[in-house]
Amino acid sequence: MATFIDGFLWYFALAVFVIGVSGNLVTIILASRKVDLSVPRDSAFSGALRTLFSRFLPDQHMLSRIGIQVVAGYMFHLGLFILLFFAAPHVAFLEENILGFGWTAAPHWLFIVASQFAFLGIIMLWLYRMTNSVSRLISKLDDHVATILTFLVMLSGCLALLESFETLRLLHRFLVELLLIYFPFSRLMHAFTFVPSRLFTGAWFGRRGVDS
Amino acid sequence: MLKQNMVSPVGDILKFLSILMLLVITVISQPTFAAVEGEPEGVIMKNPGADLWREVRQRNIAIEGISQIKSVDSGILINPEADRWTRFRVDQLVNYAAIILAGLALLLLVFYLLRGKIKVEGGLSRQMLHRFSDYERVLHWTLAIVFLFLAITGLTLLLGRTFLIPLFGQEFFSLLASSSKEGHNLFGPIFFASLIMMILRFVKRNIYEKGDLTWLVKGGGIIGKSHVSGGFFNMGEKTWYWIVILIGLLISVSGLILVSPNFGQGRVIMELSHIVHVISAIILIAVSFGHMYLGSVGTEGALESMKTGYVDVNWAESHHDRWAKECRDNNRVISADKFNRLQGKINSGTEESGSVAVEGNK
Repeated sequence: MATFIDGFLWYFALAVFVIGVSGNLVTIILASRKVDLSVPRDSAFSGALRTLFSRFLPDQHMLSRIGIQVVAGYMFHLGLFILLFFAAPHVAFLEENILGFGWTAAPHWLFIVASQFAFLGIIMLWLYRMTNSVSRLISKLDDHVATILTFLVMLSGCLALLESFETLRLLHRFLVELLLIYFPFSRLMHAFTFVPSRLFTGAWFGRRGVDS
Repeated sequence: MLKQNMVSPVGDILKFLSILMLLVITVISQPTFAAVEGEPEGVIMKNPGADLWREVRQRNIAIEGISQIKSVDSGILINPEADRWTRFRVDQLVNYAAIILAGLALLLLVFYLLRGKIKVEGGLSRQMLHRFSDYERVLHWTLAIVFLFLAITGLTLLLGRTFLIPLFGQEFFSLLASSSKEGHNLFGPIFFASLIMMILRFVKRNIYEKGDLTWLVKGGGIIGKSHVSGGFFNMGEKTWYWIVILIGLLISVSGLILVSPNFGQGRVIMELSHIVHVISAIILIAVSFGHMYLGSVGTEGALESMKTGYVDVNWAESHHDRWAKECRDNNRVISADKFNRLQGKINSGTEESGSVAVEGNK
């Protein structure tokens, strides 16, 4: 089982992830669009850049209604980012198995705090999805599967923190591989598509002189 | 070398010499030990190290010695208090915790079989009142999920050695205990954070007021059939709230002391924190059984408030009549149709007017 998880399944999952994500992005970028013949009122480029960053801030008029999503969303995403790229075992793994170089890992206390933020964030986001009637209606099975799978990956990783049990490490790695395989076919793709999406919308508005 | 603070230098020298002598005896006795291996069975050999360690321990209190390591309790080689703590944990905490929790679960089962589900007086009205916002329900369920996770992992750590090893074996239990410990330590501060959010959001509505005592005297309507008056939260709910907050804070503070042993707290404080942590947690888990029972199978219509945010008007009249009257006075009653539309449970033109859809979305 260990040979399968550390060997074939790992390479298969990685291939599905890389090919799937690349394929999705290429398809989006190369998708045919109508040529805009109107006279531009402003720069599409500056509009694209502005929107890419301005959407990190919530709309002031909506803030009172979307407070939970904004706060919990930032807690989860920032926490997950630190876990993913700055947890000492992850840095070592990336260096040894994929990149060939590493960087300074986060101290243990930061890893713990980041994971606590990420857990609280993902639990609150999922509960909001379930309790708010509009969010519940627009949610598909994919959203729940993606949330639960991400939660299980995080949880199994944290439970294996002592690195004393091979079974826990294998469980974590197996769940990561499932997530990698599922990723390109789910809304988890937003981790990559949010950039071209914002750029496209921003350029479209920018060209028409709309401050978005 | 151990050094007792209260004795004279002569005492120190004598103690040193006696320990040295014991060490010499221990070393010398090794060949003898080897020589008796060939002796017939039944010859009882005294453990050569026993006297040495008895001398090191000296008496029934912790003795501070000198150590190169400068930290709290680093000069104490043997802490007899820890033995008492271990015995208390193994002989009393584990047994009583298991008896209390199992007994209470059984009691609730018997109560349910005898009393059944408490029905809403006059049945459900098909008119609804908004009771909890999305944020309030998210808070409630966040605390509930984290609490359940901590209860399961905590009970695994407390009772697992006694109850799980015979079932799953030592190897699997060691894996389970290790992951439970990591998970418990990780989720503890999340419980604390959820508790703080719970205090900020609900404290105002949980301050005791006039009329709450009447609710208590009448047993909240569970005992007997008489109607009991209540506001937004009745006396029972307020008491549950304060139990969660106060005992939850006690659990959180004692847990933080346990999970962060690098703030100068010694072994005795850690042992006391552990006892406070476990006893408080057992009380909270035990009382939460009652909350879970009354909030789900025990009372008709209660779970709806935390599922949809809305409750039936007759349910509100039964358990929170003062709040229901306030809602009626302010025209906050909505029809079943409107409730269903708000919940997205109606396909336009196909619904049966006046009935509340109880199933999930189409």
